[in-house]
Amino acid sequence: MKRSFGSNSSNNSSGSNKKTKKKATNSSNQKTLGVAWGAASSRSSFRSSPFSDFGSYMEVKNQKLQNQFETEASASASSHGVSDSEKLIFQGVSIFVDGFTIPSHQELRGYMMKYGGRFENYFSRRSVTHIICSNLPDSKVKNLRAFSRGLPVVKPSWIVDSISANRLLGWVPYQLDQLNDTQPKLSAFFAPRRHLAPQVALPVTSCQPETGYSETEEGSSIIAEDAEEARDHVDDETDGVYIENTTPEMTEETRTNDLQSSEVNAERLGNNDIEEKQVSSELQFTPNLLSASDNRSFHASGKHDGKSIAPTSGSSIRRHSTLEDPNFVENYFKNSRLHFIGTWRNRYRKRFHGSSNGLKCEDSGQSTAENAKKSTIIHIDLDSFFVSVVIRNRIELHDKPVAVCHSDNPKGTAEISSANYPARAYGVKAGMFVRHAKDLCPQLVIVPYNFEAYEEVADQFYDILHMHCRKIQAVSCDEAFLDVSDLKDVEPEFLASTIRKEILETTGCSASAGIGGTMLMARLATRVAKPAGQFNISAEKVDEFLDQLPVGSLPGVGSVLKEKLETQKIQTCGQLRLISKDSLQKDFGVKTGEMLWSYSRGLDHRSVTAVQESKSIGAEVNWGVRFRDQQDGHHFLQCLCKEVSLRLQGCEMIGRTFTLKIKKRKKDAEEPVKYMGCGDCDNLSRSITVPTATDDVEVLQRISKKLFGSFCLDVKEVRGVGLQVSKLDSADPSNKGSRTLTSWLSSAPASVHIGQDDSLFAANFRESSDCKRHVAGGVSRLRESNSAESSFQSGDTNSSLPPMCHLDMEVLENLPPELLSELDETYGKKLFELIEKKRGKRKINSNSPHVSSDGTACIKGPKSLSVTIYGLSTSREKVYEEPHVPHPSVARTSSERTIEITDLMPSSLSQVDVSVLQELPEELRAYVSGAFPAHRKQQSSSDAPMETCKKQDQEPSGTKDAENGIGFSYSSLWFGNPPLWVEIFKVSGNCILEKFSEIYYKMVQSRPILSSVLQHTISEIGSFHDASANYLDKAVYDVCELLKQYIKLKVEGDIEEIYLCFRLMKRLAARSQLFLQVYEILSPFLQASINEHYGGSLSIP
Amino acid sequence: MNPKDDNPSGEVARTLVEFLEVAITMIVFLKGFYPSAAFERRRYMNVVVQRARHPELRDYIHSSAFGLLPFIEKGLVERVAVIFFSEDSVPVERFIFKLTINPSCAASVEEGQLEFALRSFLIKLPVSKSLVKPLPQNCRWEVTAYLRSLPQVCSSKAEELWIPTDTKQWQKPPVITPVKSLNSEPLCLQLYVEHPSLSEPQPCQA
Repeated sequence: MKRSFGSNSSNNSSGSNKKTKKKATNSSNQKTLGVAWGAASSRSSFRSSPFSDFGSYMEVKNQKLQNQFETEASASASSHGVSDSEKLIFQGVSIFVDGFTIPSHQELRGYMMKYGGRFENYFSRRSVTHIICSNLPDSKVKNLRAFSRGLPVVKPSWIVDSISANRLLGWVPYQLDQLNDTQPKLSAFFAPRRHLAPQVALPVTSCQPETGYSETEEGSSIIAEDAEEARDHVDDETDGVYIENTTPEMTEETRTNDLQSSEVNAERLGNNDIEEKQVSSELQFTPNLLSASDNRSFHASGKHDGKSIAPTSGSSIRRHSTLEDPNFVENYFKNSRLHFIGTWRNRYRKRFHGSSNGLKCEDSGQSTAENAKKSTIIHIDLDSFFVSVVIRNRIELHDKPVAVCHSDNPKGTAEISSANYPARAYGVKAGMFVRHAKDLCPQLVIVPYNFEAYEEVADQFYDILHMHCRKIQAVSCDEAFLDVSDLKDVEPEFLASTIRKEILETTGCSASAGIGGTMLMARLATRVAKPAGQFNISAEKVDEFLDQLPVGSLPGVGSVLKEKLETQKIQTCGQLRLISKDSLQKDFGVKTGEMLWSYSRGLDHRSVTAVQESKSIGAEVNWGVRFRDQQDGHHFLQCLCKEVSLRLQGCEMIGRTFTLKIKKRKKDAEEPVKYMGCGDCDNLSRSITVPTATDDVEVLQRISKKLFGSFCLDVKEVRGVGLQVSKLDSADPSNKGSRTLTSWLSSAPASVHIGQDDSLFAANFRESSDCKRHVAGGVSRLRESNSAESSFQSGDTNSSLPPMCHLDMEVLENLPPELLSELDETYGKKLFELIEKKRGKRKINSNSPHVSSDGTACIKGPKSLSVTIYGLSTSREKVYEEPHVPHPSVARTSSERTIEITDLMPSSLSQVDVSVLQELPEELRAYVSGAFPAHRKQQSSSDAPMETCKKQDQEPSGTKDAENGIGFSYSSLWFGNPPLWVEIFKVSGNCILEKFSEIYYKMVQSRPILSSVLQHTISEIGSFHDASANYLDKAVYDVCELLKQYIKLKVEGDIEEIYLCFRLMKRLAARSQLFLQVYEILSPFLQASINEHYGGSLSIP
Repeated sequence: MNPKDDNPSGEVARTLVEFLEVAITMIVFLKGFYPSAAFERRRYMNVVVQRARHPELRDYIHSSAFGLLPFIEKGLVERVAVIFFSEDSVPVERFIFKLTINPSCAASVEEGQLEFALRSFLIKLPVSKSLVKPLPQNCRWEVTAYLRSLPQVCSSKAEELWIPTDTKQWQKPPVITPVKSLNSEPLCLQLYVEHPSLSEPQPCQA
């Protein structure tokens, strides 16, 4: 399948594994969609049947059904006696009906039979051409691709209508409403990111034209689907609303809309192909090629979506606050200019990644040698970008005063975001209320944003710039610095005018250019040049220019600083120059003073650099935020988290520190003047740092919810919420799947380990001290090679930073000093040196991750040390084959990444936080369960094959390696009603355990707690007959696991219950060997967790 | 009490504070710190409780409980401890109320529900006498609150009644005996008793 190759081709070594996996699943064409497994329940019957396995059974069954269908079809055809050619409208169509439909699937089958179609009882990608259903569960909508395998999902009315029209209608208008939205969406912004979502693959290449439809149609459908999927990523909570909107009255309208949209889409698609080719010829940088072209095509579809929706959204009543609009976050960002500017940067980086890469390499060689005298910088800025883009095609507006604003409400309480020069002449400024602006200029025309156009123009703008110059620093979507020092053969003034001319011709917007010796001067020159002009400040004119320049116009001098300066009677740069650097630094602080001093002399030490890595990524909404209750708040947070997560993914970044900012209405603040604005607010913020960087939306949601709760405020008072992720680290796309996994797993041990870390540490410690000499020598060597490598790679976000080498040193630094000195001693006092050296190096390498000094640090410390050892061991393998090394196999693994994962995983499932696992989505849990057996194979001494672990999932079989092997199914023993353990115990074969579950069932109405179950057990069972030793082990293990999980569940909120249970356990222990053992095993665990939460031990009399 | 403040989270906090006042009195009564004649029977939440007769004692308990109100409202209070000290100011027994208020769901809770839940504490307390140890001679007691973070500025008079303290701690983790746990929205409250661990080094009896 092309799809899987396409998405994987950027992966390096670890990708190959995935590929084979995917192939394996794809090769089994006989995929049943949840219906067929009923047949599998009677497994034993297979043995006597002539079929060797399930697959062949299904094959024969399908064959038989098909034959039946055919005979029936021919029978009905002959009985009615109508000529075939007229009737066979469904020729080549093969449907699969999923779920409840009207007409029923039997009727549909009848229709298909009658009109020459086929009806499949079991889904198969090979034979089915359309999936018919009228409703899909949310999970399937979210994972549409997994469900439909790219096939169209159509409403049953398609068939009915086709029959009544007596011809095969196009299915596109009948696409399932759930998948097909007429709601506005953030598509334009999310476009560049979409290709990151694993299931959203290349739309054009992935479709397999097996159906009788033209390719364009197919393609368009998939684009629609993709857009849909993307929307689902943004907002899956609001599905209810979408369904609501697609009630029968609306379908008619929807259909026409869809029809149009699909047509336009088809056109678009053609364009995409061309565009793609262009892009691919433009960019010769292969790793980026894929993503770039990917972007484009998605981008196009996104654009289109926006367009087709625009009229409807305009006519309908827009909903303005979180109160009324469940899609608020989505719509907010759709309509936010700041958001556009914010996300634009990522787009830019993606788009021009290849070229900026080149720049970086060049830069690193030159930056030191660069001479301030020689350099020439051009600063280019589009004139009133946000206005002129909108009116570029509306000539009638060109010389009229126009302002951009998100709403042209007659109340005029919206803020103007940008005004063109005619409007500015009237005194209209950005940030002004429309009302005031209209007072100043009654004929002012207010136009709405047009983000698609902005994007388009910004792209064109940079295309032109990149054609002329390689050293570009993008400041914003409409503003950039060009370093033209190297282009000796071209006059900068000439170049600037050429660029300006080209921009005007291509985009229809005028640009201004400033030329100067430094970035500062270029920027100041642009200010003079505006509008639509250019200005050159040559080196000799700098002083003259600055002499009269008001200090307030220097970048970095805001109103506060300006006022301060004015109190000192400093108004122009000339006056500023008279003051010494020292006194400036004394008055305004070291940095500001320095800045003032050098700026007033036209000096600017910054050099033109490519897009800088962002330090933090986040999203903030402080307009229209009104919550009715906690649920509103949480829903909003969830949406915000999704947005942030998408942004993170868009930048291919993961972060560790999460800051939640809240704007809380001031106590006496009145309803703000600006409609739905935030008004007078207190700003609160709290942050949390987790051990492992993540972009996982669920983690974000969990964390933000926690943070939100920690504010302890009334949600009604909240006027703005922002979530910021910092301590960023670049995400390695090849590890995407496992990364979320690691973040989960490593967050789990953080809470559980504490009781055990001593021993763990000791173990690792011994290990590292055994190898200390090699480490001491080796680490530094490794690091050296590494730092060289990282500087080479730093521009390329696709390749990961070598994680462990960065990590370990940081962790070491953050270790508590006692630990560190202890470690240092074992390393022969070389550790401190290493850290010092590392510190020096890190200054160069700015984007290295930060590791917190919280709980896990001390655990991870020794662990990652051992990672380093393994990394080294490729060269010194012999040393590590000594028996004391617990996992020698790891040392030989070629992929570094696997090593890391292995080490982040807790050594046994008992260390995993159960609640975390319970919260995991199904797929992730499957991941974990998949990862664990493999992981354990490396860790445990017993070489239990994977099969046994799998078996455990289905039914707990007796395991000897109780400490190590804990079946995955146990992690959720307390999950569900009745909890899972009740079922497991019921079939356990041990009379005591069976009694447990029996008692539970007796009291099942009251959802009894464990203590009452135990209480009843004591009173009901007079004597305990302990099972044979063989069974005993298993029973002990089962009960232990049950209680362990119970402790974890209850330790935080209900120690009374735990206390009761253990007192009862103690009583039971006196009477039964089983409970005695359980009690003995669990006591330390219990005390450890009590100690962790309450700082004491539980007394059990 | 602060009648102006009528947000639901304050409602819960006020109920809790009221409850704490009663519960602290109960604990002191239970310990037999003062002669039982110093207390009188009252009815609170439909349970028989004790109330201090001596105005100063009553006032101390009342003011310390209500002094907590602003901190509880801000969600700062993590634990409230009633500590009994021996002669040399070493704690011998600590009754700990560990509390977490979730202000978010405060709106949905009914007064009655919360009272019902809190009543179970007041019922359980008198029967927990067996847990407590006899008091040594010349002991004293105090109420200590453990805050999640130190409050910034004291904004009201009530807050000023609380002063930072430097209570002697046990050197070993104590032994915990749970009395009652309440785990509900919006309030999680656990009452447990801490005793010095057996291995706790005995203070030198100088």
